[in-house]
Amino acid sequence: MTTSTRDVDTSAERTAETDAAADADPAADVRRGQRPWLRGRLAARRTRRVMLAAALAVAVLAGGLMLFGAYRLTSADSARNHALTDREATEEVSGEVGDALAKVFSYTPDGVRTTELDARRLLRGEAATQYRRLYGQLRKRVTEQKLTLTTRVVHTGVVSLDDHRARLLVFLDQTSTRDGGQPSTAAAQLAVTAERRGGEWRIVRLAAR
Amino acid sequence: MSGEERAVADAPEHALGRWAGWCAAAAAALFLAFSGWQLWQAETDDDLAYAAARDTVLDSGKRHLETLNSVRSGRIEDGLARWRAASTGPLRDELRRTGRSDAATLAKAGTTARAKVTDAAVVRLDTRSGTAELIATVHIRVTERGGAPTTDRKRLTAGLERTGDGWKLRALGAVPAEGAEGGDS
Repeated sequence: MTTSTRDVDTSAERTAETDAAADADPAADVRRGQRPWLRGRLAARRTRRVMLAAALAVAVLAGGLMLFGAYRLTSADSARNHALTDREATEEVSGEVGDALAKVFSYTPDGVRTTELDARRLLRGEAATQYRRLYGQLRKRVTEQKLTLTTRVVHTGVVSLDDHRARLLVFLDQTSTRDGGQPSTAAAQLAVTAERRGGEWRIVRLAAR
Repeated sequence: MSGEERAVADAPEHALGRWAGWCAAAAAALFLAFSGWQLWQAETDDDLAYAAARDTVLDSGKRHLETLNSVRSGRIEDGLARWRAASTGPLRDELRRTGRSDAATLAKAGTTARAKVTDAAVVRLDTRSGTAELIATVHIRVTERGGAPTTDRKRLTAGLERTGDGWKLRALGAVPAEGAEGGDS
């Protein structure tokens, strides 16, 4: 059955001669008013096509909506924040940042240099600048007045965490002593921003809360 | 099938159309199955559910902490009712017991307090038992009748519990510096 539609359409004579060719395009017969019984079948076929198209459209729409829903769930802010969901990473950043704070905010008259070196290693960016300004003023007094400060981490909470950056809220207790005098303890709360550089967490921003 | 019907069915144009139709239907079914699977994966992902719960806890916790640290002079009854609505379990019981006398004290002093949570983080979350803990820092602006406003800074720990009406505070405590005197909020 190789006869093309156009052949059948344009040559009624040939159609009459060859039944097979006529069968190839029943629609043409219907248009010519022949075989009226075909009309119903063609209408049914058209209905099926419309229904198929509608079903396809619905399927594509439903699929698209589901994909969008999945995308929204997996790319939400809460999904990108690994605080607590990644227990290991949460504990790691809490531990490292807590240790770093305890180190840079603890000093003794004989250990000024150690504290300074720790600060240079553990603090970066804005935090380093802030610290230098603060510690520069303090350094002389620490040795002259024999000041001791011990900082202890009381609570650490990770606000947000991803592979490179973390935000933490840290409660500290700071005990200071002046030349063998009575120690006094004060509470401090810091919002800390840390960045992971070379596999280790470094503090880049500090803000009192 | 009669001969005529077969003629319609066997028409090459129809066969091609039918083939294309099947292909489209199969592609649509595959797409539907794939996207359904993706959505199912996302919705049943434990980490995603846990992360969403963590954020819900943080939001509810912040809101309730502000409520429980705020009171408006002249609308103290209203404030006490809101305290109770933000709490559950032991904290709610405590507020029920002491609410009357607290209200009387506050009314006498004409106290207005407005709390703002400046930072907070969830430190523990157990979605199975429906309990969580968070730490927070708050600034409370307190005005007593005729007095100038003062700002109080507090650091708090709070315990939360999941209820039928969302996460509520079941415990609340200030975290004083070691050696300093502490107390409940």
